[in-house]
Amino acid sequence: MKTQLLLTTVSFSLSAAVGLSQNTCSTALPITAGVYTVTAVDGTEIPAPICAPNGQGASAGEWYTYTPADTFTVTVSTDLPQNTGGDTRVHIYTGTCGNLSCHAGDDDSGAGYLSYIEFIVFPGNTYYIAFDNKWSSNGFDFILEENPYVEPQEDPVTFSNETILGLSGTYRIAVADMNGDYLDDIVTITQDEVRILYQQVGSGFIANIFNVNITFMPSWSMAIGDIDRNGFNDIVLGSGQGVTFLYANDTGDGFTEVSGTEYVFSQRTNFVDIDNDGNLDAFVCHDVDPNVFYMNDGEGNLSFNQGGLGDHPEGGNYGSIWVDYDNDGDADLFIAKCRGGGSTAKYNELHRNDGNGVFTNVSVEANMYDPVQTWSSAWNDYDNDGFMDALIGANSFADGGHKLMKNNGDGTFSDITAGSGWETDNFSGIEYISFDFDNDGFADIMGGGSHIYMNNGDFTFYEFNSGVPIGAVGDLNNDGFLDIQSGGNVYFNTGNDNNWIKINLLGVASNVNGIGARVEVYSGGTKQIRDVRSGIGFKYMHTLNAHFGIGTNTAIDSVIVRWPAGGYDIVRDPEINGDVLVVEGTTSLSVLKMNGSPVEIFPNPAENELNIQNMDLTQVDNMKVLNMLGQVVMDITVPVNTLDISALNNGMYVLQVELKGGKRFADSFIKR
Amino acid sequence: MEPVELPVPGAPDNSVSVPLNGEPHQKLSDYNFFYGPLKNQVPVEGVYEYEPISSLFTDYALKKRFIWMPDGVAATYNVDSEILDFPVGTVLIKNFYYTHVLPGNETKILETRLMILRSTGWIFAEYVWNEEQTEAYLDMNGSHVSLTWSKNGETMSTNYRIPSQTECMVCHKLNDTPIPIGVKPQNLNKSFPYPDGEKNQLQKLVDVGYLSGNLPPSISTVVDYSDSGQPLELRLRSYLDINCAHCHSAGKHCDYRPIRLAFSETGVKTNMGLCVEPGESIDPAMNFIISPSNIARSVMHYRLSTNDEALRMPLLGRTMVHQEGVQLLEDWINSIDICE
Repeated sequence: MKTQLLLTTVSFSLSAAVGLSQNTCSTALPITAGVYTVTAVDGTEIPAPICAPNGQGASAGEWYTYTPADTFTVTVSTDLPQNTGGDTRVHIYTGTCGNLSCHAGDDDSGAGYLSYIEFIVFPGNTYYIAFDNKWSSNGFDFILEENPYVEPQEDPVTFSNETILGLSGTYRIAVADMNGDYLDDIVTITQDEVRILYQQVGSGFIANIFNVNITFMPSWSMAIGDIDRNGFNDIVLGSGQGVTFLYANDTGDGFTEVSGTEYVFSQRTNFVDIDNDGNLDAFVCHDVDPNVFYMNDGEGNLSFNQGGLGDHPEGGNYGSIWVDYDNDGDADLFIAKCRGGGSTAKYNELHRNDGNGVFTNVSVEANMYDPVQTWSSAWNDYDNDGFMDALIGANSFADGGHKLMKNNGDGTFSDITAGSGWETDNFSGIEYISFDFDNDGFADIMGGGSHIYMNNGDFTFYEFNSGVPIGAVGDLNNDGFLDIQSGGNVYFNTGNDNNWIKINLLGVASNVNGIGARVEVYSGGTKQIRDVRSGIGFKYMHTLNAHFGIGTNTAIDSVIVRWPAGGYDIVRDPEINGDVLVVEGTTSLSVLKMNGSPVEIFPNPAENELNIQNMDLTQVDNMKVLNMLGQVVMDITVPVNTLDISALNNGMYVLQVELKGGKRFADSFIKR
Repeated sequence: MEPVELPVPGAPDNSVSVPLNGEPHQKLSDYNFFYGPLKNQVPVEGVYEYEPISSLFTDYALKKRFIWMPDGVAATYNVDSEILDFPVGTVLIKNFYYTHVLPGNETKILETRLMILRSTGWIFAEYVWNEEQTEAYLDMNGSHVSLTWSKNGETMSTNYRIPSQTECMVCHKLNDTPIPIGVKPQNLNKSFPYPDGEKNQLQKLVDVGYLSGNLPPSISTVVDYSDSGQPLELRLRSYLDINCAHCHSAGKHCDYRPIRLAFSETGVKTNMGLCVEPGESIDPAMNFIISPSNIARSVMHYRLSTNDEALRMPLLGRTMVHQEGVQLLEDWINSIDICE
């Protein structure tokens, strides 16, 4: 203690002597190990980039340089007794002034709001140490200590933070492909504009602004899907007063607003085909009333409905998620619920989809009727046994903690929280989402703010603080590792050596996004599954592409897509570490048989005429030819056995045949 | 005020009509609570005005409140911090209005909320005023009124929300049961200028036969949060009680959060959130609900200062920031040096 005090005194006079020298990077004060005094944070150069948590907001800085003589693990800390009650933030850089790179940084790892950071240094390199006044301009002391080099512990996933130019807007909560190239884009919403940052092939984004006046802003949530099947995704916005739909036009260069007149205290929004008629419907959790949903008439017109899908008179509906828990091919509805007091509105609900828009509340018999205060749940097959399991994330521990629920495969769930790691987790939050962040073949969970819970594959998880504020997840640089857009930044997953595959869907008989499809990946003797969902967690919209890590496996035996319309497609031996586009009904022979014979199309490729063999025209209502955006390019109201396709441009198309009664079948062909 | 027709205020009138089953009246005038033009709000005998010491902020709306009870029944005192035990038939009447509404610089009444105690419990009856200000009609579905007014020379505007029945219930409930909020001894224990003279409001209720039994000799009473002559902490506690405690108390909408903001509970500073971690992290930098002398690190300050409906507090009832309330909170946070 005495030594430290002495050092403090000495350094005080030193820094007083150099006066303003540490006010900028170029005049940074060289220091060695010791204690130094910053009299006030008032230097003119604001440290940039930001290497510590908690973002922008500083207006001044204090700069030092440090050039070690050896390899050390260095500590820079303001966590000193004389600083009690202070509030500091520090950034450590390498590089040169004007071209600095983050090496380390900290805001609050010390006591209270003081800073404490350890980092590795190498001899001969120069490190810049810069404090800013994000929180306080008051002076403080700091210490630089040189300690023996210690191998740093590696995080299971690391992210590199990048500020994205043009990533502005009031609500920056959505990542999804918006233009049919299956590259995840970023969508932001402001009162008078939709802004889409289109991900470019290679890297980077180009921002496009679409002017539209928006009645209800997505203050509670938003979801994305193609309601009107024109190949460009539409948007649902959930506000506390009502619901707005934004329809992308047929050329993808504008949006039209349609807002409901009904009062809806929106929470989670989803797109899903509720009645399995091949068209996307929308579902909106209602905070204080029974849930509402909007049924699609097949032309993209939505009609308001209330009642039948979670009808507690006081609501309490926060996080709806559509998941096929019973593997019967349709999406069931789980609602994470929350409500104070003695109200039963806090009990979670599970509604089994019995087909044709009929749902049965099976909360109790499935063992999911639980009062835990939750705003969202994360669903994936955490043990790769072929059934979707759930992590019900607590938003408060007042009525119980997190619940890890194993799907028993018989319509019931077992609480296996004890021993899973979740029973000791003290972080609560409103967002719980599941993705495989490290591509090891086991779906992880993000929640409780910036925490990621790595899945060991045996129903145990370990938590680590990623430092990344939860946001919208997608592959924003198309490298197969999932990134997180949060605020004005994208946190790019720096990846590892694991292999992966992305399955992109184009529904034909099913909704165009393939929402509700079950995707199965078979690799190395293991089957992994995903449901394609629009609207998971609480408020964000995440990628619609089905993303799988396969660990160190070097091959995938097959991918099976089970479509909500009932058919399935198989892709055998796909290339790993890339994307696979699966068009519904095009990778397997058509299952449609008429008068005992399969319906087939020939020739393929075709130039001017396409023949449809064995098709009984009296059973057919209409035929359509779609392009790969899902857009209708030929609408044939009088069915024929031979199509004139001479007017089509060269490329791949889908022929869709709709029978009287509404069933649809499809096959692909190439026009030359 | 326009001239009032006879009978004069305070004259006997036995025509107040309150249905105690079935649909509430379709029109506010059907109750006969007021003499003359409805908008003048001149009560008949048996209808008494009252005012809580501190009031809820609702986009700077002004309020005028009345109470009525049937003949021969009376409320009883429970405890200072709980609503009075009211008899069946009690009606609480609350008018929301603005003055200097532009462009005509007029007074405009927007809504009149009734809570009526029936044998089955309290019901809500919401009346929305017409443009002519001659009548208000029952409407339980909620609506919006776009409004611009002048407040001390400053032009303000809001898309004023008239609540639906379920929105009423969000704040006005204990567990699943509808209840009033403001009519607690702690809030009523002050003098009020009645037409026949100034009197303590609780004493007035006793004198007119609306409150029976003994009141305790002293009542733990909130202060007027806008009264800068009162101690800062009492002002904030009074503010939090009337603006927040209807959700942040046991049995209420948000009782799963770690704060307890009723005046009777905020004597303990951790109940106010001092150095208490928030259940929901808006921003990891704001690690406490209230951080001593550190507004930027205090979640409560953030929530009171934002209009984002997913982050603002209170959850319902405001679309504007209550600048005076935020200032009061800032002053108090800055007066606290350490965690306890």
